[in-house]
Amino acid sequence: MAPKSKKGANAQKSKGGEEEREEPLQAVVFADAFETTFAPFTLERPRCLLPLANTPLIEYTFDFLASAGVEETILYCGNHIEQVEEYFKRSKWTRDTAPFSLEIIRSNARSVGDAMRDLDQKQLITGDFICVYGDVVANVPMEAAIAAHRTRREKDKKSIMTMVLREAGDFHRTKSQNIRPAFVIDPASERCVHYEQVRPRQTPRLDIAEEVLKDHVEVEVREDLIDCGIDICTPEVLAQYTDNFDWQAPRRGFLYGVLKDFETMQLSVHTHITSEGYAARVKNLQAYDAVTRDVISRWAYPLCPDVNMLSDQTYQLQKGNVYKEDGVVLARSSVVNRKSMLGKATSVGGGTVITESVIGRRCVIGKRVKLSGAYIWDDARIGDDTVIERAIVANEAGVGKRCHIKPGALISYGVRVADGTSVMGSSRVTKSKRRRSSGPNEPVKATTDPKIVGEGGEGYELAVDEDEDETLESLVPGDIYNTADAAFSDDSISTLDSEDEEDSLDEDAKRRSSRSESFASINSDESGDTRRRAADFHHEATASIVDALQKNEDADTIQLELQALKLSSNAEDKQVRRTVAVSLMKRIAGLVESGTSPKDAVSKVVPPNKLLIQRCVGTDKEEYSEQVEFLLYMQTDLVHRQQGDKILLFACNVLAHDDLVEAEGFEQWWEDPRSSASEELQDVRRETKQLVDVLVGDDEDEDDEEDEDSE
Amino acid sequence: MPAATVGQTPSLTTFLKSLKTSSVESSIELLASLLKRRQIKNSRQCALATAQLLRRVVGAERIKDPQKLIDRIRDVGRRLVAAQPREMAVGNIVRRVLGVVREVVEEQLGDDGSGSSGPSTPTSPTSRAPKRPMISHTFSSFTPLSHGAAMPYDMHPRPGTPGSSSPSGVDRLADATAAARRPGLATSASYASIAPTNASLLSFLEHPLGRSPGATPPATSSPRMTPVQSSMELNKEKIDIKAEVIDGIKDLLDELEVVDSQIAESALDHIHSNETILTHTSSQTVQKFLATAARKRKFTVIHAEAYPNDHEATHATILNGGKKSTGDDDEVDDRWKPLTALGITVIMIPDTAVFALMSRINKVILAPHTVLANGSLLAAAGASTIALAAQAHRVPVVVLSGVYKLSPVYPFDTQELIEYGDPGKVVPFEEGEFMDKVDVVNPVYDWVDAELVSLYVTNLGGCAPSFLYRIVADHYRMEDVDLGAKSG
Repeated sequence: MAPKSKKGANAQKSKGGEEEREEPLQAVVFADAFETTFAPFTLERPRCLLPLANTPLIEYTFDFLASAGVEETILYCGNHIEQVEEYFKRSKWTRDTAPFSLEIIRSNARSVGDAMRDLDQKQLITGDFICVYGDVVANVPMEAAIAAHRTRREKDKKSIMTMVLREAGDFHRTKSQNIRPAFVIDPASERCVHYEQVRPRQTPRLDIAEEVLKDHVEVEVREDLIDCGIDICTPEVLAQYTDNFDWQAPRRGFLYGVLKDFETMQLSVHTHITSEGYAARVKNLQAYDAVTRDVISRWAYPLCPDVNMLSDQTYQLQKGNVYKEDGVVLARSSVVNRKSMLGKATSVGGGTVITESVIGRRCVIGKRVKLSGAYIWDDARIGDDTVIERAIVANEAGVGKRCHIKPGALISYGVRVADGTSVMGSSRVTKSKRRRSSGPNEPVKATTDPKIVGEGGEGYELAVDEDEDETLESLVPGDIYNTADAAFSDDSISTLDSEDEEDSLDEDAKRRSSRSESFASINSDESGDTRRRAADFHHEATASIVDALQKNEDADTIQLELQALKLSSNAEDKQVRRTVAVSLMKRIAGLVESGTSPKDAVSKVVPPNKLLIQRCVGTDKEEYSEQVEFLLYMQTDLVHRQQGDKILLFACNVLAHDDLVEAEGFEQWWEDPRSSASEELQDVRRETKQLVDVLVGDDEDEDDEEDEDSE
Repeated sequence: MPAATVGQTPSLTTFLKSLKTSSVESSIELLASLLKRRQIKNSRQCALATAQLLRRVVGAERIKDPQKLIDRIRDVGRRLVAAQPREMAVGNIVRRVLGVVREVVEEQLGDDGSGSSGPSTPTSPTSRAPKRPMISHTFSSFTPLSHGAAMPYDMHPRPGTPGSSSPSGVDRLADATAAARRPGLATSASYASIAPTNASLLSFLEHPLGRSPGATPPATSSPRMTPVQSSMELNKEKIDIKAEVIDGIKDLLDELEVVDSQIAESALDHIHSNETILTHTSSQTVQKFLATAARKRKFTVIHAEAYPNDHEATHATILNGGKKSTGDDDEVDDRWKPLTALGITVIMIPDTAVFALMSRINKVILAPHTVLANGSLLAAAGASTIALAAQAHRVPVVVLSGVYKLSPVYPFDTQELIEYGDPGKVVPFEEGEFMDKVDVVNPVYDWVDAELVSLYVTNLGGCAPSFLYRIVADHYRMEDVDLGAKSG
């Protein structure tokens, strides 16, 4: 007794069903942005879980992906992975009802490039995928972009990526005011023909290649686009990353590389410029501030607080863009001005004035407090008569009475600011130290600095790290962090995450990954160039040695080649040492992966190439620093290798056996703080401990003893 | 575009498609998130999606206890309403379906208990009208406790049940009488096949209302329903609740499909030759209404463009009938003929010119987003201006609304009902410096007070705004008015 109309509807549906999809749309999300712009908060929490308008950042990203019709999501996660996993265990995205399947990958990738290469290895990507950071707030319509990408791809297999860019004027609060991307686009084909990062009103010219201008009748140079890193990629992109293992960042590494090699590879990257929807990346504090304001004043509609993205939220919109959750307690004489947000169970005392501020849940705001533009996260307490201007007070932090928190200050988790303290705008107050060797679960507590938090407070000021080569764009634009000459780049991938990188001994890599890649920034042109050459040397040499080892060429030939390369690229001895260490380990790891036992692999690779090692460590027998360095290079390289600890043990054994490294060298290496800097490094060398003990304790009989150990 | 289907942006179409394959829970989640993201919006789409989803929910449920089914539907309804409280069509459809379930249950009880008051003998609407309790009256006394006690199987009052407080007893009584007097299920569930009573603005005055225009005509006038009824008469055993409820939902879906044509049937009563009609937004209901009148009569249409939220759709409607290439709705093709193709002069004006032109206009026709219980309505921004201008010039305002848009919600706080949209439509996002310093608001809806509306034309016929509460009472059960009242 089905009515006629029902059949009609069914027919309609099945007709629609015929043109169904073959492969699901996938997305790759990078939970870390491999940078430190959110320090000190990121010392304790993963960046993707920082609250933006009281909702974790990742929710916005996932919501965007869901609205784009993504069916499988791969989340790359490095720091604080336990917290991320814990969060997702409880979130709606891992339930059966989630719009897409979610796979969280633990990785120790240090850049997008690493993650991409890993992804290529894992073979998780089957078709075209969307690649975004875990801090994107966007609602740009993707359907058109994906369709355009697919049609281009049908026609031309060489078009491998489409970047989704949002049109915005010259000035926009979410845009970085320091460095901006400039896209040179062929408007007819929407192909991106040149990319550079420029400093507004400072970069005198773009360095467009001659062929580009010859090939294209018409080009548009656009600097007004917001690039929030939403890319539609084909699997070919992954292959490209694998082929070019020095590419780290998707823009300055990948895009630049692809554009540069256009003549040879013929790969093309297209743009999709949209003029509707909202798109922004919360890549630094200034953007955090801007995007929060956008969300609250509904520019990101429908991604507004009253959508209640999390199921337990109950925000309601009131006049003047004031959002309140249920159970907010406001004293009668308190005033909540426009563009404010108050979370559940927050109480506000009498005489308090709140303007353009976001206040989390369960906060206690005292009497006669003035908050203007403040970001108060969950469970914070603000004492009476305190004034907080554009500053962030993180979870469970306490600010005493009569304090003054000046614009730009960051008060991290659990910090206590004593009564009557004034916190300067440049302060980044935290309780946990930057360097933690004890692992993320128990951050080291730093000693309290009463100068910053007052007598009885808790917390100290996080110094701006010298190694941090990037400017922290603070909450307040034009703040002291914006030292003009720092090579802050729009593509924040540049710095490896401080935690991983901080004391990595690998200075070369650090330099390469940090400033050398910002080829666009004019002021570092020269040094950048030499550094890039150094990096080139490393990769080229490593590749050639590994290649030669595979072919079982004899050590003399390899040495010769190495020497030639060294001379031609003017490399230092140190680099050669690193190259040798890395390439040998690479070869050993390769053998191990193909099934050889670590012991056999080591004995197969190291003894025949004694000469190489001798040459690079043996120049000065009295100084052990070179040997130490060589061991350190080995150790760091093995951190990421399969059975790295075993390989290290056997390799050390052989090195000791052949007198390539003296016992003193081992001792110094073992005691060198760099070798025990991180948990991973400690893990990898644990197995070798006994060997070293034996070597150090008993110089003579090393060989026999450690043979026992190794069993 | 075959290549574009992969990675399609979710919409009503994809939702309906996925409804067949995915599990009930994920369908509910999906609809909730679509509503949140506004990927399904406007009353019709929301109503359609909700009804389809509930059909799926009921279909998947193994019904032993009808109360469980009611709770389940309420729970789903609560979640959907929480996802997008301003799309009231969602709540309306949930309440209608709940009404269907209760109807079936009561019918069954009626059969079991007092065989005499069978379901197929609908009592005359006039007789039951005065007995119906006022909504406001029971609203407050309604408690979860009394509801839980009153509903399941013992519908008939048993005086002296231990532990029953007196208000709940009263409620039970009311329930029981309502149960006995309520007409057959199918009749009040759907008006799909019922001709609207011809109550135009004129005839409306001619026939003083002795009976509710919203009251349901006798069931026998519906040919489709006869098999159901006869089968019910044949086997007076237990009725298959599930099948009945699903039938009820199907009828609801049918109603949604034909609602525009039903409204359009009364077009000739309202639009006369050589009149000048002002309308607003790209509503297909209005277009159909005008098109029906245009077949017989010549008139002029002045169309306000509803900038900035709906002006593109309005332009498209005027130019080509607003047919989208994707075809979101399953509509018939001739629906998409523009009025101009029928020989009607259509003049498009900006919203601001409404007052200037109002003196020359004979009638304003509006399509609401939602009609509220007190006769006021929410419509696309700009409707309020039009209604006020019309009042200043004493121009009648006719509102075309399907019953599914009629919500039992009373507008205590009109501010809260209005949704604020993307300010980027007013001031382009590119104006970075401007948007940094200026707060821009873009209300999507306007609230129009009941006194500004002269007549509502529903798929049941016309009625005055002050009379809407009757239709509300006819369609929604008091116990369902507040979906959140009973915690699951």
